[in-house]
Amino acid sequence: MATKEKLKQMLVEELNLEDMTPEDIDDDAPLFGEGLGLDSLDAVELVVLVQKNFGVEIKDMEEGRPALQSVNSLVSFIDSKRTA
Amino acid sequence: MIRLAIQGVGVLGGFGCGLGDLEKRLMEGVPAFGSLIVPVEGQELNMAAYTADSAPLERFVNKRATRRIDHFSRMALLGACLALEDAGELESSMERVGVVIASGYGPTRTTFSFLDSVFDGGDACASPTNFSNSVHNAAAAHVAIQLKAGGPSLTVSQFEMSVCSALMTTQLWLAEGRVDKVLFGAVDELCSVLGYCWGRFFPGGESMIDPFSLDRQTAIPGEGAAFFLLTRDEQARYGHVSQIRQESIQAPLSSGETYLLNLDGHAGCSTGYRQVLPGSASVAVYTPYYGSLPVGQAFDLAVAAMALRDGRLPGANGFAGPADPGWQLAQGALDRNRLICLKCDGRGRVGHIRVEKS
Repeated sequence: MATKEKLKQMLVEELNLEDMTPEDIDDDAPLFGEGLGLDSLDAVELVVLVQKNFGVEIKDMEEGRPALQSVNSLVSFIDSKRTA
Repeated sequence: MIRLAIQGVGVLGGFGCGLGDLEKRLMEGVPAFGSLIVPVEGQELNMAAYTADSAPLERFVNKRATRRIDHFSRMALLGACLALEDAGELESSMERVGVVIASGYGPTRTTFSFLDSVFDGGDACASPTNFSNSVHNAAAAHVAIQLKAGGPSLTVSQFEMSVCSALMTTQLWLAEGRVDKVLFGAVDELCSVLGYCWGRFFPGGESMIDPFSLDRQTAIPGEGAAFFLLTRDEQARYGHVSQIRQESIQAPLSSGETYLLNLDGHAGCSTGYRQVLPGSASVAVYTPYYGSLPVGQAFDLAVAAMALRDGRLPGANGFAGPADPGWQLAQGALDRNRLICLKCDGRGRVGHIRVEKS
């Protein structure tokens, strides 16, 4: 499964977004606040989930802030770390 | 100490959801069991258990708001909402409402799931949400946050005596004037690890709780929540909790009362009831309707509240009545306007909760 599909499925299942399907998630919409509506606890959960499911560590805020903007930015971050 | 006025009751368990479901079950007979899947030596066994469905919570709180709330806290939140609804106070200000929760086991599913994740992936891959939900006070926090209860919140865990201990704290808060009302509740949940332990400690797989077979182990595990909205008022919709005691088993209790015994099929606890109750005592038992769980006494309190409201004890059928101690089975119209919920823990402790009509 491609990174993007796997990531969207993970967001819905692991963050219990029961009112959404992976297809409902806009690739460029902000993950936090207005877009997907995630919050700071979700951010911590996401860091753990990315490490657990993709083997990619988000080390600090400097890396995390740009990576956690949207699905597309997170996919780019994961793919770049995996190919590095 | 002050009396606690019972203004609302909310229950869920193997019998269904709400006081109406419990009442219906008490009339119709012992409910069909759910099942608990227990992994044993590479196989999955189905163990009889009284399982609770927290899905009706959606009637009170939207799905998004509860997405991080686990089964344990969902049961507590649903019980709390049902108690408020029953009291007609769902829309009332919660500014001076405290939350006190009793639990014998705590959030077992999340606790073991969190520990598994640490074993499997190390602490770096442990879920922070699972961690926050694994602490005993998580349910009280979720109840307070979702219902905007502005008073203090507390969880008391003293295994079989949790209900009495937590109720004493409730009484203290109301007596001190720290709060005007308390959402007092009891909750316990089942999980596969607990089922596994249960199977190891109590092999045999009983088909039903036989409460008055005091020497036989017939307990069947249960889960659920029983909540009460309690105030200092002189007027109570159900009745008042007029005395709470927790002590070592000493002299026998008075035979002039009617006791709701929490005889839940644990042979190890039965001895205490024999010691504490004289042969001629008037007794009733409702454990076969909700199962065996440390906070079972709270379900007896719900039945007692219902009995005081109606002036009669609900029928209890589908199991044999008292035999060798010579206790008299209480049923029908109440002899007097008070009942005592009694719980013995098998380690020489007994908890009494006396409730009476206002």
